[in-house]
Amino acid sequence: MSEPASRGPASTGPGATGPASTVPVARSPIAPPPPVLVLAGWEVSGRRARAGLTLTDCTPLAKVQLRAPVGGGAAAELGVPFGRAARDRDGTLVAGSGPGEWLLLAAPGQGPALAVRATGLASRFPGELATATDITHGRALIRLSGSRGAGVLAKVCGIDTGDDITPDGAAFRCAVAAVATDVIRDDTGGERSYLLHCERSSGAYLFGELLAAGSEFGIEIDGFTPPGI
Amino acid sequence: MTILLPCAWCGPREATEFAHIGEVAARPDPGAVTPAQWREYLYLRANPCGWTSETWYHRMGCRRFIRVERHTETNEVRPVPAAAGARAGEPAP
Amino acid sequence: MSEPTGAMRLPRQLGEVIDRGEPLEFTWNGRPCHGYAGDTIVSALAAAGERVFSRSMKYHRPRGLLTASFHDPGCMVQVGDEPNVRGAHRLAAGGMVVTSQNTWPSLRLDAKSVNGLGGRFLTAGFYYKTFMRPRFAWPAYESVLRRFVNGGTVSPDTPHTRPEKRHAHPDVLIAGGGPAGMAAAISAAEAGASVLLVEEEHGLGGHLRWGSEADLAALAELAGRVAAEPGVEVLTDAVVIARYDGNALAVLERRHGGAEAERLIRTRAKTLVVAPGLIERPYVFAGNDLPGVMLSTAVRRLINLHAVRPGQRAVVLTANPDGDAAIADLKRAGVEVARVEDARLGGDVSAAVGRTGVRAVQVADGTRIDCDLLVTAVGWTAPTSLLNASGDRPVYNPRAARFFPDASRLPGDVLVTGGIAGDGSLEELTEHAAAVGTEAARRAGRIAAARVAATPTRRAAAPLAPGPGAGTGPAAAVMPPDLPVEAHPELFIGRTNGFVDFSEDVSAKDLRAAVAEGYDSAELAKRFTTATMGPLQGKLETVNTVAVVAAATGASIAGTGTTTWRPPYVPVTLGALAGRAFEPVRYSPMQPWHEAHGAVPLVAGAWIRPDHYADPAAEARNVREHVGIIDVTPIGKLDLRGPDVPALLNLLYVNKWSKLGIGRVRYGVMCADDGVVLDDGVTGRLADEHYLMSTTSSGAATVWEWAENWLQTEHPDWRVHITPVTTAYASMNVAGPQARRLIERVTQGVDLSNEEFPYMNVRTGQIAGVDDCVLWRIGFTGELSYELHVPAGYGLHVWETLLDRGADLGIGAFGVEAQRILRLEKGHFIVGQDTDGLTRGFSAGLEWAIKLDKDDFVGKPELAWQFADGSGPRLVGLQPVDRSVVPEVASLIVEGGHIAGRITSSRMSPTLGRSICLAQVEARLAEPGTEVTVRLPSGRLIAATVMPQLAHVDPDGERMRV
Repeated sequence: MSEPASRGPASTGPGATGPASTVPVARSPIAPPPPVLVLAGWEVSGRRARAGLTLTDCTPLAKVQLRAPVGGGAAAELGVPFGRAARDRDGTLVAGSGPGEWLLLAAPGQGPALAVRATGLASRFPGELATATDITHGRALIRLSGSRGAGVLAKVCGIDTGDDITPDGAAFRCAVAAVATDVIRDDTGGERSYLLHCERSSGAYLFGELLAAGSEFGIEIDGFTPPGI
Repeated sequence: MTILLPCAWCGPREATEFAHIGEVAARPDPGAVTPAQWREYLYLRANPCGWTSETWYHRMGCRRFIRVERHTETNEVRPVPAAAGARAGEPAP
Repeated sequence: MSEPTGAMRLPRQLGEVIDRGEPLEFTWNGRPCHGYAGDTIVSALAAAGERVFSRSMKYHRPRGLLTASFHDPGCMVQVGDEPNVRGAHRLAAGGMVVTSQNTWPSLRLDAKSVNGLGGRFLTAGFYYKTFMRPRFAWPAYESVLRRFVNGGTVSPDTPHTRPEKRHAHPDVLIAGGGPAGMAAAISAAEAGASVLLVEEEHGLGGHLRWGSEADLAALAELAGRVAAEPGVEVLTDAVVIARYDGNALAVLERRHGGAEAERLIRTRAKTLVVAPGLIERPYVFAGNDLPGVMLSTAVRRLINLHAVRPGQRAVVLTANPDGDAAIADLKRAGVEVARVEDARLGGDVSAAVGRTGVRAVQVADGTRIDCDLLVTAVGWTAPTSLLNASGDRPVYNPRAARFFPDASRLPGDVLVTGGIAGDGSLEELTEHAAAVGTEAARRAGRIAAARVAATPTRRAAAPLAPGPGAGTGPAAAVMPPDLPVEAHPELFIGRTNGFVDFSEDVSAKDLRAAVAEGYDSAELAKRFTTATMGPLQGKLETVNTVAVVAAATGASIAGTGTTTWRPPYVPVTLGALAGRAFEPVRYSPMQPWHEAHGAVPLVAGAWIRPDHYADPAAEARNVREHVGIIDVTPIGKLDLRGPDVPALLNLLYVNKWSKLGIGRVRYGVMCADDGVVLDDGVTGRLADEHYLMSTTSSGAATVWEWAENWLQTEHPDWRVHITPVTTAYASMNVAGPQARRLIERVTQGVDLSNEEFPYMNVRTGQIAGVDDCVLWRIGFTGELSYELHVPAGYGLHVWETLLDRGADLGIGAFGVEAQRILRLEKGHFIVGQDTDGLTRGFSAGLEWAIKLDKDDFVGKPELAWQFADGSGPRLVGLQPVDRSVVPEVASLIVEGGHIAGRITSSRMSPTLGRSICLAQVEARLAEPGTEVTVRLPSGRLIAATVMPQLAHVDPDGERMRV
């Protein structure tokens, strides 16, 4: 299943010769700490954390953005309102990430299929402008897990992480370390867990800031394991 | 500014998440406007000491342009009801 | 067993906070000093018999303990490389290096204390008046005066830290952890509120900590109940330093011992309970600043908390039960109380006498009593800082001789309890506080319920557990009856002149002089004398200042009013305020390659880009001669979908967009409604209702918001979806005569022939095995070029493949600088470089693009007027007559002594071997062939000729159309 990926500077600079890698491997903006594996077509870290507080680069997950009118038929079909997130029958996490805007997250490689499905949903409501965009490569996705996760967020984000305002299943966009970030509270096994979704180019920065903020709580990096959602 | 702004979509959020677009000014018909009227729209604002109607852009949140009424002396803020504001100020259903 | 830590150390006290099992040693001015864990620096020194801890600011008078708290003006010391440490608050630690500040050559023999002899000359306003003339001499005065500043010293070698901040969202924040604050916290938590309880001292309890056995028992009971409440977070050694609108509260948490001394907690509390207690006020009389003059609370703290005997023989001036309790404490501690002056019975002191400490006291009847300690208990100051910040104006009550909150002006989310609200027994205070805590929880619950109702993240979630968030708890307001207010003598200034402001060395006489000079209000006298403007910011001095000004002006204290307390309540380090600065940086997927190949970084907004790898001129030549590749990922990209995209494009761009065919690309310029150029880029049509727009790198966010603003506020009926995809694609421009040969080697599914894929077209296909790539045929550099946008996760793969497969074609990476050279050769302007915030469309060479016959577009009226009146400068290509001179950007173009324009871009062209420029010039100078004069920064004037067009290389655009 897995194979070690070539690391280090490319040997293909000006004047150099030799073959470049022939099978495209997708890379996250967040450099994976060793050991580096290729899983589901993505370069990922094989590291396994032992700490109770972990940070995982989930960028390989398929991400599709769906836009449809607020209060329209497509919105009703999706069944997830703005501000909330839930899994559908296929296990896709559907988050109401903005007014008339949904973020769909699924296992790596599912992007095109997800986009087709979303477009199909849209086409059932011809009076509505509904569009689906595969943003898998356009965004970084990070999972912060552990009971101290709220403490980490409180250092980089001004949103109240209490259950009154942001219970499990809450989806909201806000500034996290000064980067506009979609935050989804997606507890796993009864333990607090957050998905953080931002522009790809800010991913390395955001990951670094979360690691720094979590250092006082003993945060550790945990590698990505498919399907990962 | 450390006030909480009542975003019609997201609920109360820190004003630092928003961009202050400014006092609401209606754009005149560009086909029938005099330079004086157009430049009043571009540059002149009432800037009252009291209630004023403003547009804010929720840059870090829902990315909607929202209308609020703010008292410039006390920073008391109230959302504009959907009927009175632009569609941008409509609250989520 | 003998006491190892000093002659003044008492045997074990009931409420002592020192741990006798944990002795420690530190140095004081180089000599060892012993203490116990729990000692403050100054309590350990006082136990060792030290009485003088600093010299005063102006007169260098010896100063000792006055309040034995954080707010002790005489106890600021240097600890290691940390200046201005509050020595009566900071806990002593083993190995500390403590020195006195503002003393030379030593604390005992201070040369600067000659100031004291000449003190009568250093009256209020002395510095303002004396050192103003002659004006030119001020730098010399300043360098001398600097040495007299009584701050500590800052070390340039102090390690740089990034203190952390955090956010907190309690239902109720309680400022003050005395009995009232604790009782309020308990009842608020019992009502279901989450509570943040903030206490300035090292432990909860307030005045109970240094009180009687019964007080200590009450403290233990309250502390036990606080600890048992899971909803209460307790912060000790922390202060609410500021309140802003909507209960935005800045809480300063001190974290001693680490590199990170302080941390700021940005708190948004639903309700605020102000329960700071009261601050004991000093008395004004001759010698009131001598070491050995102490407040009653200071001696009670020393004896009961730190087991330190404050002196051997004492005189006590008491006006209240706390003074009486101090007398009992002194007697128990073995201090001989030589005289009690009871102010309630007309007693008074007129002077303390001594040089480096009290040696005798003269009392009201003229008797002189030998002693080393004078204790005063003359009344209280209400620390109303947080109330001032809430819009309150405290009111003076002459019967109690202190200020009280004006309940009518308090906002609904601020409540008050404890000593600041009134007097009464401990039971009355805690009952009042408990009721206030319940009410604070109730109001917090209403605010929380409103916020929850307005917040979409709450919807469809599980029902709320009972608590304030659920809007449960008492429905009706719970307001306790007002606390009693006990009578207290009005004692501010004695019969002799003494210090009002210890930090600033301002005496009552100075204040009277200020009033006599016309500064006849508290605010004016404060500014003239600097009274209340020192490190204590008025905590000890404000009311006495007001009393002196009131007496001098003949007004009442109530009529004079206090000066306003503004945040921060206590000093805060700049590091804590700054915190960890969030400065997002953005990287392209090819960043690892750039770093490995020696790219010199260019910081462009949040982006880190390669400026150049080696010689930028050589990089540019390689593009003209062979083929080059540049990372242009930061170029803004917006995915546009929907039937009304053409309408949006027609509105935003100055040119026409209705007839753009599928697969076609068009260049467009946007102006704002003032006609000023906003951004430019190309937009291509990928499918029927699907477009991809590019913007400048720096304009990506602006254009997105700009378009959303027009859509949402002016045209909500238009059906368009805009999705920013700037970093969804890794973007790279392959440019040069060999570009097509290279692209052919790696691309599948696209016919690259000039006939099938001509200039200004767009195609999608597979590049280097990667699907869904977008290829634009455009030419910013003026060469045959393909701009490739590939799914970002494969960006590095495609980049490396292109460099590998193009090696035999002479491919070379080029950076932003080479690109700037190339585009200038081609005469392409850059928004923000060749235009500025006043450049309207016709001043940017856009006559060909602006279509005034369109119905409407943003900026149309202004552009129509500019077209009609021909106003504004013009953008021209400029060629210096001396071809070796490259005029610096912003060099002026002068005409008859007037400024007639400026150089906006200039480089030495590697292609042409001569200098090339773009310039903004007055319209009358824009005719091709006009010779203009350029004034270089050196002042040298050179001649330059206006070119027929902006492009210096290939003006007909043949190279990019091949």
